[in-house]
Amino acid sequence: MSWKKIFAVVRREYTERIRTKAFWIATLIIPFLFIGLFIVQIAVARRSGGERKLAVVDRTGRLYAPLAAELTRPQAERPPQGQSDPGNPEAGGPRRQTVHWVVEQRPVIGDLEKTKEILRKEVLAKKINAYLILDPTMLAKDQVEYYSTAVSEWITQNQLERAINHVRLREKIAAHGLPPEVGNELDRRIDLRAFKVTDAGTAEEKGAGIIAALVFFFLMYSTFFMYGYQVMRGVIEEKSNRIVEIVIASVRPTELMLGKILGIGLVGLTQYLAWSFIAMNLSLPGIASLLAGSDMAPKIPISMLGYFILFFFFGYFLYASIYTAIAAPFNTDQEAQQLAMIPMAMIVSSVAVYPAVMNNPSGGLAVFLSLFPFTAPLMMFLRTALGRVPAWQILLSVSILAATTVALAWFAGRVYRVGILMYGKKPTIPEILRWVRYSPGKAVPAPAARQAS
Amino acid sequence: MDTAIELKNVSKSFGKFRAVDDLSFRVPRGTIFGLLGPNGAGKTTTIRMTMNITAQDSGEINVLGHPMDRVTQNRIGYLPEERGLYRKMKVLDHLYFLAAIKEVSRETARARIEEWLDKMELRPWLNKKVDELSKGMQQKLQFIATIVHDPEVLILDEVFSGLDPINTALVKDYLSAFRAKGKTIVFSTHVLEQAEKLCDEICLMAKSKKILEGNLKELKREHAEGQIRISLRAGPAEVAALPGVSASRAVNGAYVISLTPGTDRQRFLRAALDKYEVNSFSDREPELEEIYLAAVQKAGLAETRIIE
Repeated sequence: MSWKKIFAVVRREYTERIRTKAFWIATLIIPFLFIGLFIVQIAVARRSGGERKLAVVDRTGRLYAPLAAELTRPQAERPPQGQSDPGNPEAGGPRRQTVHWVVEQRPVIGDLEKTKEILRKEVLAKKINAYLILDPTMLAKDQVEYYSTAVSEWITQNQLERAINHVRLREKIAAHGLPPEVGNELDRRIDLRAFKVTDAGTAEEKGAGIIAALVFFFLMYSTFFMYGYQVMRGVIEEKSNRIVEIVIASVRPTELMLGKILGIGLVGLTQYLAWSFIAMNLSLPGIASLLAGSDMAPKIPISMLGYFILFFFFGYFLYASIYTAIAAPFNTDQEAQQLAMIPMAMIVSSVAVYPAVMNNPSGGLAVFLSLFPFTAPLMMFLRTALGRVPAWQILLSVSILAATTVALAWFAGRVYRVGILMYGKKPTIPEILRWVRYSPGKAVPAPAARQAS
Repeated sequence: MDTAIELKNVSKSFGKFRAVDDLSFRVPRGTIFGLLGPNGAGKTTTIRMTMNITAQDSGEINVLGHPMDRVTQNRIGYLPEERGLYRKMKVLDHLYFLAAIKEVSRETARARIEEWLDKMELRPWLNKKVDELSKGMQQKLQFIATIVHDPEVLILDEVFSGLDPINTALVKDYLSAFRAKGKTIVFSTHVLEQAEKLCDEICLMAKSKKILEGNLKELKREHAEGQIRISLRAGPAEVAALPGVSASRAVNGAYVISLTPGTDRQRFLRAALDKYEVNSFSDREPELEEIYLAAVQKAGLAETRIIE
């Protein structure tokens, strides 16, 4: 192995890719797409934080007034619900966006259907934003009908629902002859504070940690996917433009393969760095806190980073090896496509089952998937982030993964060495497997070993 | 040490097909060595084995005195028949990369690259992408890429294929210039005329086997036995009737005549002068193709033809 030569290959792979427009577009566009998405969501939330004209058809005849009062009361005066804990999503974020309600009561004109029709037209004409039907029979079934062009504005609806519940609760309390303070008492909610038990003791889980773990999980997933595929395309490209024979006259095939995998992996890491830089400066704290309803930027534990690097390294190498072996025998992307479905399916399967693993991180399925080498990088990482995993399982998982990676890299090297010089007819799988058994010929002796000559 | 490359009893099979069969030859240092033969004779496989790209099944290959290793690899320039380039790379970066995988630093490579880009009139394209170069320019670039690390030995597979006449002449000139610097050049071709003017040494291959090897001048002398070239006013039948003629054929307004062994050439000339007007008379050097065909016949591979 000549590290000088491997470095030359790494350098070429890295700089050539970093220089492409595609790389910068992906690097810059993806986070901005995400940020854009969140900005849109926030904007929607903000807009719902503006003035909302609500028409109420109150067929109970007694709920409108308290509801209007509740909705139009300044936020600060509202009874506290739960503790004002930043870690509690119920108490934190969403309610900070104040919706300014303008409420008006509407009589029933003609029958209810006709009234609804009139209101429907008003909503469409944007005279009002929404209307609400308070119907005694529906209320008996704990239902209230809400009509709006935007029925997915969860902040608005959440507030409205809360106000209605509040009003109803007061009414019930009054009906039972209890003092109104009881209402305040009942309005309080229990805050479930989650503590994660780890070897280091117990630490309060803020939700942001899990989000960070999921962000890493999906980063890893997309890297295996995108950059594994890039390795495949790189191998095929070198072969189809016939440069490979010139290169392997200077570099051994294993060195070329290794350099290529490392170089492309570094491109992936660079993209991570760029993303996290953008994220740290622009959005990640905002996104994470929005998602977790927390004001705190997610604290990423060192152990999580450590596991991420460990499983990323092996996982990327494992999949890059598979993609190399798949690419080497073929001359076009199309020819390799069929076999490329195999690693793709393996990677996607991890994502398909991750909710199950999240629900039960110590269950049989989770344990199996985190030991099975093709799902282990993603699954074991996720498990270590979710809770305590027995040390033997981590060790076993990493050992199986490392052994499989080494074996597959060896296998890929064999296929690669023969495949890159094979042109013409598309080889069959039995043919490819035969290449692996080809004698590698005499190994190139190290310079020191031939002193005698 | 005056041997650049030596093959001893080298064989290679692909499945049942024997691509190279018990091949041995020696390339003296400082010569231009032609590996010649029709397509499919095993030239490319031989070159790839020499470059350690393909491993031989048996036999021994020594390059600069020992089996190919990394250090030796760095002293060799190789241009395969199928010449590729990274199309998206810039010319200078491409050359830097090819120097780097020969463990030559940018600083060292830079001066040489500039010198050659000047010689090949590619300097204005230094920072252009390979894609933007014409085919002829790409061929020049490939040639520079082969010598960017100042190799001691150049190995070129079908080096003239696809070259336009100008680039062909250019490459021939540079190959001669390299030899003048004491470097060794091995090239393969199936076009014997190209080899004829360039080669000092040749190895002829046909059907995976060597059929002839040696110094081209010596080979020509050996095969010149009895052959003379004579230009005279006479018809083919009259020429064939002259004393001592074993075979004759018309070539470019003259006759190439093989004399029966033991015939004195002066006596033959005198006999010709007696009967006809003779314009010129000389010993004839056989053309490489004749040597090749004779060798093929001798090896019992008569049906093998040079395919253009």
